[in-house]
Amino acid sequence: MKGKTGSTCGADDSGGREWAIDVSHVVKRFRLARAGSVKTAIIDAVRRRPATTFTALDDVSLRVCRGETVGIVGENGAGKSTLLSIIAGTLHPTSGTVRTRGTVSSLLELGAGFHPDLTGRENVMLYGAIMGIPRATMRRRFDEIVEFAGLERFIDQPVRFYSSGMYVRLGFSVAVQVDPDILLVDEVLAVGDADFQRKCLEKMDEFRHAGKSMLLISHDIATIRRVSDRIAYLSHGRIEGLGDPAEISKTYLDDSIRANAAARRREWGTLDAQFTSAEFLDPAGGGPVSGIVLETSESRIRVRLRWNAVKRLDGPVVGFSLEEAESGRIVHGSNTQQAGLAMQPLDGAGGIELTLEIGSVQAGDYLLSFSLHNSDHSVNWHRLERCLLLRYRARKPWDGVCAMPATWSAPR
Amino acid sequence: MDPRAQIASPVAVQPGWTRKTGLAKWNGLVRILVLRNLSIRYKGSALGFFWSLLTPALTIAMYAIFASILKFNRGQPAYLQYLVTGIIVWNFTAGTLNDSLFSIAGNANLVKKVSFPRAILPLSTALANCVNFLLTALPLALYLALTGTLHLRHVAWLAPAVALHVALCSGIALLAGTLNVFFRDVQHAVGVGQLAWFFLSPVFYGLDLQLGAVPVPDVWKGIVFVNPMTGILAMYRYALMGLPMVPPEWEAAVPGAWIAISALVSVAVLLLGMAVLRAGDRKFGDVL
Repeated sequence: MKGKTGSTCGADDSGGREWAIDVSHVVKRFRLARAGSVKTAIIDAVRRRPATTFTALDDVSLRVCRGETVGIVGENGAGKSTLLSIIAGTLHPTSGTVRTRGTVSSLLELGAGFHPDLTGRENVMLYGAIMGIPRATMRRRFDEIVEFAGLERFIDQPVRFYSSGMYVRLGFSVAVQVDPDILLVDEVLAVGDADFQRKCLEKMDEFRHAGKSMLLISHDIATIRRVSDRIAYLSHGRIEGLGDPAEISKTYLDDSIRANAAARRREWGTLDAQFTSAEFLDPAGGGPVSGIVLETSESRIRVRLRWNAVKRLDGPVVGFSLEEAESGRIVHGSNTQQAGLAMQPLDGAGGIELTLEIGSVQAGDYLLSFSLHNSDHSVNWHRLERCLLLRYRARKPWDGVCAMPATWSAPR
Repeated sequence: MDPRAQIASPVAVQPGWTRKTGLAKWNGLVRILVLRNLSIRYKGSALGFFWSLLTPALTIAMYAIFASILKFNRGQPAYLQYLVTGIIVWNFTAGTLNDSLFSIAGNANLVKKVSFPRAILPLSTALANCVNFLLTALPLALYLALTGTLHLRHVAWLAPAVALHVALCSGIALLAGTLNVFFRDVQHAVGVGQLAWFFLSPVFYGLDLQLGAVPVPDVWKGIVFVNPMTGILAMYRYALMGLPMVPPEWEAAVPGAWIAISALVSVAVLLLGMAVLRAGDRKFGDVL
């Protein structure tokens, strides 16, 4: 096998299939301070000021087999579109290589490269010409393209009069009808009506069965899972995961919930007393859990809080609340005062442990907030909002957010 | 490497002319872009393409009227014909320069989303201007014939004249189109530079123009022909009007040396344009 590694595909189950796209150690940096004029270019050169750069892709390697569909997921700005542009050849990597076998047709954004002043017909012919397809061939396929897009009546109108839906329909049908070996699709599944989306998915299936390769970007995880043979998860310009669609899309969704939770964290207060840590303790008994996330099916969780007070503070109260991550609705909130726990005045370092019975809520994602304030709630020393994420996995057989004791009895 | 691998995304790496085999594939694109360039020029006008014939005819009439009123002529025989030939030849150069500035920058939607040899964009503006020039040459030839100044003894020189002119315009288009993507200053500099170039080229004056009693030193004559338009204009007038390419008192020690300088500079501009486009090719997507 050694000698063949250069041409076989990297998929686990591929059994040495040939690759169609080979992306090898691609790095892409963009200059942020763009040289807009001769003046700035000269000044930069004279001062030897290094241009500030942004690394959009950082050592990305990926092979797509012939006949394979690979989906790319990742948050905004992860480098998905940059990667597709590099494969399409409209951007060039700073280092690394990209090789493709066969013709590439790209659908980057809506109606890739249409000229607004030209008619639909002219744009179709222009697109064909840009793809290097002979005119005679394009003429033969023309009717099919127009019919697929459903634009028979408007094909001789300038495309600037088209609605965005018409634009993307024509874009998609040209891109697939030029019959490329490789199709690159960026977020087109999100547009068009349901009927056109269905046609697109059918066309993509047809494309797959014809042994063509596809690389597609979508934020619609359900669709991308259904269509893809493998999924690549791109994060901050690196490939975080590559493989089984179900597994990788789960990793991606988990990460995005985590990132979302981290983004919603807030803290405020006078900081006379300040939380120094808030951490989950292992529900099965034991030490602290690293990170801000606890994933568990246990019905009891424990959290350890530590604080430090810069001066003596009388009548302290420690509170917490649990909210649904998705809706932000508070499921439950309480404090030491309500629980009837009289706390010693704060002075220097201290801590407390919270044990919470969560068995009565439905499985889901919950965010925890903590507070440290005085007895009449007039001064907030420190509030730490949405600092921990609980991913409760014990799916219950009932509907709703929370269990209530309900008893049924036969009518007398 | 697997020998079956055709490492050729239709675009990714080659800037166009490097792949001889692939070039034929892009005929269709060049054709569409040239037609688009020409059709946009007269879009919405009733006379359409006839403007290509009408404009030079009207230009000739304008110069005929104003040049005689303002007494442009300093005793040169067939001055008006000399002037009009110069104007029409110059318009090919100036038109290419102006159109090509935005040939790449103005097609950002194509350049950013589809991959194809970028050189096609500026080259097709040069080609469109060439087509337009050849059309305008028809009324010019008619005018020269009607006034009895069409002398076709050296008409074979039209071929090198057009060839060098096309080479020069292609080079200019590649340079202007590429540089304007990176430095938007270019479009402003071109406005002024083009005016200077116009006055430095013998469009409305002859090289035997009397600037003073002092004879022009040889070095200066050579420098005048470093401007490729000097040689190209001379060739056209030689081919169409039978005028001497170089005035007798300007003749170099080696006959034809001055014309050779203009020819070499034209080719050099083309090569420079190709080199500049090749250097910029990989960065278009980043900057646009």
